[in-house]
Amino acid sequence: MSSNFIERPRYQCALGGALVTINALNRATAIVHAAPGCASAADGAAKAGSGYWGTSSCSGRATPSTNILEKEVIFGGEHRLAEQIESTLSIVDADLYAVLTGCMTDIIGDDVNSVAGKFRAEGKPVIVAETGGFKGNSSSGYDLILTALIHQYVAKGLPKIPRQINLLGLIPTQDVFWRGNLLELKRLLEELGLQVNTFFSPFDNLASLRTASQAELNVVLSDVHGLGAARAFAEVHEIPYINLPLPIGPTATKEFLEELARHVRISPAALRAIVERETKWYYAYLEHVAELYNDLDLQRFGIVVGDANYSYALTRFISEDLGWIPYFAVVTDMLDDSAQAAVTERFAKLAPELRPRLIFETDTSRIAVALERELAEEQDEYGSPVSPAFVLGSTWDRPLAQGLKAGFLSVTYPVTNRVVTDQAYAGYRGGLRLLTDILSSLLSNR
Amino acid sequence: MGLLEDKVVPGRENRLEACIAYGGTACGLKMQNRSCLKNQERSFSQAGLCQLLPTMGMLLTLPETAVIVHGAIGCASNGVGALIGIRLRNIQNGNLKAEDSNWVSTNLTESDVVHGGEAKLEKAIVEVYERYHPKSIVVFQTCTPSIIGDDVAGIIDRMRERLDIPILAAYCEGFKTKVWATGYDVAFHAIVHGFIESDREGRPPRREPGRQNPRPLVNVINLASVGKPDEDEITRLLNAVGIDVNIGPNFATREAIRNMTQADLTISVCPTHDDYFVEYLSQEYGIPYVLKDMPIGLENTRTWLLDIAGHFGLETKAAEVIAAEEQKVLRAVAKYKPLLAGKSVFLSAGEFRALVTGALFQELGLEVAGVRSYHHDHFGKDYYEKLVQNQRGKNFSVDIANFQPFELTNLLKRIKPDLFVGHVTDNVWAAKLGLPTLTIFRIFDNYIGYRGFYAVAKKAARILRNSSFNRNFAQHTQNPYKAAWYEQNPFAFIKIQQEAEGGQEREAANE
Repeated sequence: MSSNFIERPRYQCALGGALVTINALNRATAIVHAAPGCASAADGAAKAGSGYWGTSSCSGRATPSTNILEKEVIFGGEHRLAEQIESTLSIVDADLYAVLTGCMTDIIGDDVNSVAGKFRAEGKPVIVAETGGFKGNSSSGYDLILTALIHQYVAKGLPKIPRQINLLGLIPTQDVFWRGNLLELKRLLEELGLQVNTFFSPFDNLASLRTASQAELNVVLSDVHGLGAARAFAEVHEIPYINLPLPIGPTATKEFLEELARHVRISPAALRAIVERETKWYYAYLEHVAELYNDLDLQRFGIVVGDANYSYALTRFISEDLGWIPYFAVVTDMLDDSAQAAVTERFAKLAPELRPRLIFETDTSRIAVALERELAEEQDEYGSPVSPAFVLGSTWDRPLAQGLKAGFLSVTYPVTNRVVTDQAYAGYRGGLRLLTDILSSLLSNR
Repeated sequence: MGLLEDKVVPGRENRLEACIAYGGTACGLKMQNRSCLKNQERSFSQAGLCQLLPTMGMLLTLPETAVIVHGAIGCASNGVGALIGIRLRNIQNGNLKAEDSNWVSTNLTESDVVHGGEAKLEKAIVEVYERYHPKSIVVFQTCTPSIIGDDVAGIIDRMRERLDIPILAAYCEGFKTKVWATGYDVAFHAIVHGFIESDREGRPPRREPGRQNPRPLVNVINLASVGKPDEDEITRLLNAVGIDVNIGPNFATREAIRNMTQADLTISVCPTHDDYFVEYLSQEYGIPYVLKDMPIGLENTRTWLLDIAGHFGLETKAAEVIAAEEQKVLRAVAKYKPLLAGKSVFLSAGEFRALVTGALFQELGLEVAGVRSYHHDHFGKDYYEKLVQNQRGKNFSVDIANFQPFELTNLLKRIKPDLFVGHVTDNVWAAKLGLPTLTIFRIFDNYIGYRGFYAVAKKAARILRNSSFNRNFAQHTQNPYKAAWYEQNPFAFIKIQQEAEGGQEREAANE
């Protein structure tokens, strides 16, 4: 890690995170108040890096954007923004219009709140978030836009509905499998009698966001992402939150459900029944690959590279369910000391004999250097005892896997060598999916 | 002023009077005054690109080069996409061991915005040099440090003295120009000043007058978005005429780029891309150039090849090659022509590429129903009219737009072409309307020369055979616009900026 730069950042800027978050909301559109390339840079990265989310409704090149130039930088961009909001309202068919600012407009100090406020005063569903890129990365952007929505869009004063919860902490496209993951967890939790708001699946609507203040609990599926949004919910709508790690596979998911049951009322009988049923489901399929796993010796040393959510969740899955040896875990987020401590603490919960070496490293090339250093210490006369190995990371980590002659599956952002649609890796069924994908990749030369 | 003298690259709205907002027809465009046109803007606009993206697209291809993007963390996030193309191109070129292009962001934060980012950049350059041992470093200047006044030029001057590798400077602030193709100029500017003018070895000497290469040696300017098959076709045709080829500067080393100053002729395959650079080679090294054509379609390939051959007295040889190739390719496409004849085509791409591809389709018996060009400048001035003449005076719609898919969607709904031909990111809008699409920047395919002529015919015939993917898709997808939009003039949001003279009439297409 360098204090002077980030190598090939695995995230966009705050504007990018906010823009992608809005684009993942059905019938919401962004109005980007920024220089001409800002929306395209963020969107282009997200659409390719997320297993080809691509361009859909009002995203990509269709994103309304003021495209401000030198003239606005000198004379201010408020007039241009008002014109663009007005015209966007007249042409784009949406139920929520989110003004997102970029570096330029934040630096020149456009009073975007007052421009947007005029439209809101007329009853137009226009909200605004100041998301200048220098305010942070995608994770900050997710928190900034959600905080803006929580203040400006989510209805205030609604009564709480027991057993209704909101899921937070999976940033659209940064979690390449966010749609599948959200829907799989929702399916599972609804079977336990909860009402679950996910907001960002293709089947969600804005009404669930508008009334999200009714939830009795926010569940943040992360130790570092989405906490800002959860805090805003707590402050504005008095919703408490807990953060639980993203659960992948039967062991982690069972613990996730049991932990959740301590915070929201879930019938113990229902919990037992669902855990039993889903576990059976998982093993009914595993039954048929167990022979393969044993005959071919598909146990591996695991090297996991990803954001805090996945780095832990994947490590835990390969260790506790897949029976591998976690060797090295890399967290690629930009984290301050307290966030690093939270992640470290999470990893400390893994059994000591199967706890990997954990590093925080944003820079892809430094990951290889750190791993080489680690491996050099292991070297003996017969080569490396850390083999066979398998790398679960982003497409950018494929050269690392090739260098180690290790297996490889891209799971964490950016994923550019796979197409991701409804796949989920969360929960029981997601765990089975991940296992299937991992084992398939090991057999791909057959 | 030109590439050599420009401290920073002027926006193409100034250098070339390029415009990005016009709606009307091919015949109507010719009547417009370009200095007025360049002031046209939109009161509703959708995301454009900024010049950083094409700059990055080119400079990330330089081998063993580290790019430092001085700015907020998101500016180069699109590198994710650029890297895909570069990886694939390296595989095509047989460079299986090529390392991934590398870039870093100085990640300017709120505190840097207040206190300045110069120290960070200076330290970043040194650290990048020590960490990666690159053969050259490129520094991108972006919006934020530009506004807060970071003296990037001063830092680069100091670093050039301190470090023993070329340091290239790319001033590509997005807010400085509305014509993103300026980014190509920025990349050429960075390359020339970094590898030639400010290189430690000095600029290569101008070739002595009269000293000829044994066989004519020409520079062919390549594009990051044009694939190996097209480069191979260019090389094949020129070699057949007796001309050797030096391809660059994309994917080229410093040495190969410096060597471009020693060629007999510079050949552009895209005037939209190259004019700034070829002018430089001409002025400083006396290298004449061929800029006006693009070898796409039979007629364009013919005039392009003859034009080049004419520089070396090789016209007879070129005419022989052309005759043989045309005969061969016309024989081969004969089976596709009945499937294509009489169909209408709409094209969307950079101006020149869209226009010449229109001519290619006319040669295959299709009729141009509309063109969307990303910007308009003098290189495309007469070509619209030429296409009209090619189809016996039948006018067609023209949308000059830095993307703006809302106009395109409206226009396509009216025109309903049989085939849509688009640059990447354009095709989806046609797909949403159920139209068959033919993508024209696929690096695995041929588009140029005779192989390209055949490949495009073959591809069009295939695509028209089954468009059920898009037809089905269209029934289950929506565009984000209100119904009323489709009843409005597709160019209703184009306005003339206050600085320009008011009262100019806008033209409606198809009305």
